[in-house]
Amino acid sequence: MDLTPTVDQEEIISSTRAFLADRLPVARTRELIEEPSNVDIDAWRGSAEQGWFGLGLAEALGGVGVGLADESLLFREIGRSLASGPFLATTLAVRVAAAAGLDDLAASLLDGTARAGLAEPRSQLGSFGPGSIDGDLDLFDPVGAEVVVLAGVEGAALLSMASLSGARAVECIDPATRLHEARADSAAPLAFVGADVDPVFLRGVTLSAASLAGMAEALRDLSAAHARTRLQFGSPIGTNQAIKHPCADMHIRAEAAWSQTVFAALALDEGRADAEFHALAAKVVASQAARRNAAASIQVHGGMGYTFEHDAHLYMKRAHVLGHVLGDARWAQARLLDLPVEL
Amino acid sequence: MELQFTKAEQEFRDEVRTWLSEHAPRERRPRELRAAREFDLSWQHTQYESGWAGIAWPVEYGGRGLSLTQQLIWFEEYARTGLVAIDSRFVGLAHAGPTLIARATPEQQTQHLPPILRGEVVWCQGFSEPEAGSDLASLRTRAIVDGDDLVVTGQKVWTSFAPIADWQELLVRTDTEVPKHKGITWVICDMRSPGIDVRPLRTIEGTAEFAEVFYDEVRIPMANVVGAVNDGWRVAMSTLSFERGTAFTIDQVQLAMTVDRLIDMARQRTGFDGRPLIADEAIAGDLALARAEVSALRAMTYAGVSRNLRRAEPGPEGSMFKLAWSELAQRVDRLAMDILGSGGLRRRHESPDTEWIDRYLSSYSNTIGGGTSEIQRNIIAERVLGLPR
Repeated sequence: MDLTPTVDQEEIISSTRAFLADRLPVARTRELIEEPSNVDIDAWRGSAEQGWFGLGLAEALGGVGVGLADESLLFREIGRSLASGPFLATTLAVRVAAAAGLDDLAASLLDGTARAGLAEPRSQLGSFGPGSIDGDLDLFDPVGAEVVVLAGVEGAALLSMASLSGARAVECIDPATRLHEARADSAAPLAFVGADVDPVFLRGVTLSAASLAGMAEALRDLSAAHARTRLQFGSPIGTNQAIKHPCADMHIRAEAAWSQTVFAALALDEGRADAEFHALAAKVVASQAARRNAAASIQVHGGMGYTFEHDAHLYMKRAHVLGHVLGDARWAQARLLDLPVEL
Repeated sequence: MELQFTKAEQEFRDEVRTWLSEHAPRERRPRELRAAREFDLSWQHTQYESGWAGIAWPVEYGGRGLSLTQQLIWFEEYARTGLVAIDSRFVGLAHAGPTLIARATPEQQTQHLPPILRGEVVWCQGFSEPEAGSDLASLRTRAIVDGDDLVVTGQKVWTSFAPIADWQELLVRTDTEVPKHKGITWVICDMRSPGIDVRPLRTIEGTAEFAEVFYDEVRIPMANVVGAVNDGWRVAMSTLSFERGTAFTIDQVQLAMTVDRLIDMARQRTGFDGRPLIADEAIAGDLALARAEVSALRAMTYAGVSRNLRRAEPGPEGSMFKLAWSELAQRVDRLAMDILGSGGLRRRHESPDTEWIDRYLSSYSNTIGGGTSEIQRNIIAERVLGLPR
């Protein structure tokens, strides 16, 4: 048992952090809000060159072949940087395409020439299986994507954009996320991979938790920096316990979120029987951490925190999106009560 | 990063589990203080006889000298026996003992360490005073050097197990002319010394393991000073890093067990409407969240132990665990009261529900004892996040 990163994993952290700081910092996400596509194509290709979309994919299938824990390190940094674009959906879609033998699609997703959006049911699906998918969907970042990936506990499907009807753009609470509504009318999926073949959904749950944990950390750091430097009544506001204590709570929530995410990722990597519980627990804890840290951060920043110019609200809004997709807290509740946990 | 334990560690876990299942006391720990003392010491003696005393103490001091990971495993398995995390052995084994190991003379160590391991003595802690709670260094219990003795006069308060203790780790003021941290001395006090008056304090639970301790010209040999006179603050601080991230493991594992018992209870008991309580959205939601959060607490413990495996000095994470555990435990104990409903109003010793009420009442101490939540938050904000004092 050792939850600290190895030397190789430290390398993943430092290289992804450096790439994101250079190519996709929060400031770039802000610029992309105003552009037709929220994907920076050059940075996207650059990410693909770094092997990001196949990090956890077996080498035999064209991936890098490291574990979900390593992939979680990447998604934590993506969350921290609030990088814009369908990183999570594309990473999941690659697995489905590769497992289903759609080699050309997998290759183009891996090399960054194609992208996948994320599909989420807007209400109970009529059907969800290899033969047909029926229901109202929300699509996240489908602009310019070849396919969308729809994942649930039973399995994960790839749907071509052309197989969906009535697609229309709606304004998302997160200005850096593109949201479309669409309908799958007994659509035939390009591929459907059962959870027994590859637990794509649980990987997505865990990776979204990793991004939320990274966001909770970023919000803690923004708040602490402000508390150290913002002067009021002649001294830094961080001297006041009314500021100090919420910052300490942000730290605990961020640590809880990341620790549980690593635990979940390793549980899945090592084939533990309680992996599903840990993934859902990570999602719930990280989702709460990101939202509550965002709320506390806005409060610590005072009037500045309420402006569009400050980044805290962008994290808050992304937290709502990521908290909702791939297993929200209300859905996870009953499973969290029922699933077994090993000591 | 990896979650699984090595084969040797898994074998160690099996060994611990087997030993505990064969030797841990099955009968309930008595409520009455004297009887509880005998229960605790007898259990300690059993551990000693089988070589399981002082699991974190170095071998040269008679301990088991377990690795940090083995300590974690020991605490996890210990928790499953249901034995309480903190009993009358706690100060000796986890606080005074480690301080003596770190700072005492060989003579002091030879006199005091073996009886702690053998389960012959109970120690208590004489730190807090009526005017020195969170601001511990402002303590005023006075000690004057008189020949070969310190003469101590003053008062300590909120001292757990004082009524049944043999020895006390006592902080006294030996210099009033210097900054407050620099005039404190750490001394071994014999609780049977003339001039000591222990007055039990009833807690909100109604028990009396708590006490005020009064000192009226109590003579303590200078030979009992640990470290140097006026160096007591540093001596006291040397203890704090001893646990290296495992201090709350028993509490954390038992909290996980408690949440699962509450879920069972909410499934079995029905509410006013005749439906199982688990059908209540609010109760189900709180229980599900608690189960996720208590899991995160374990993950944090593992992460903290992992970090400490790689460094000599532990970081300030102890404050983080303490705060996270104590506040979650309080929330869970309140939730139990919601599930008990009117049963939570009836304190009958023959009823199994009384245990939940006792837990709930004692949970108020979690966020106060060992440093209040407010102090823990200050420590995290200042030492981890670098906020100004």
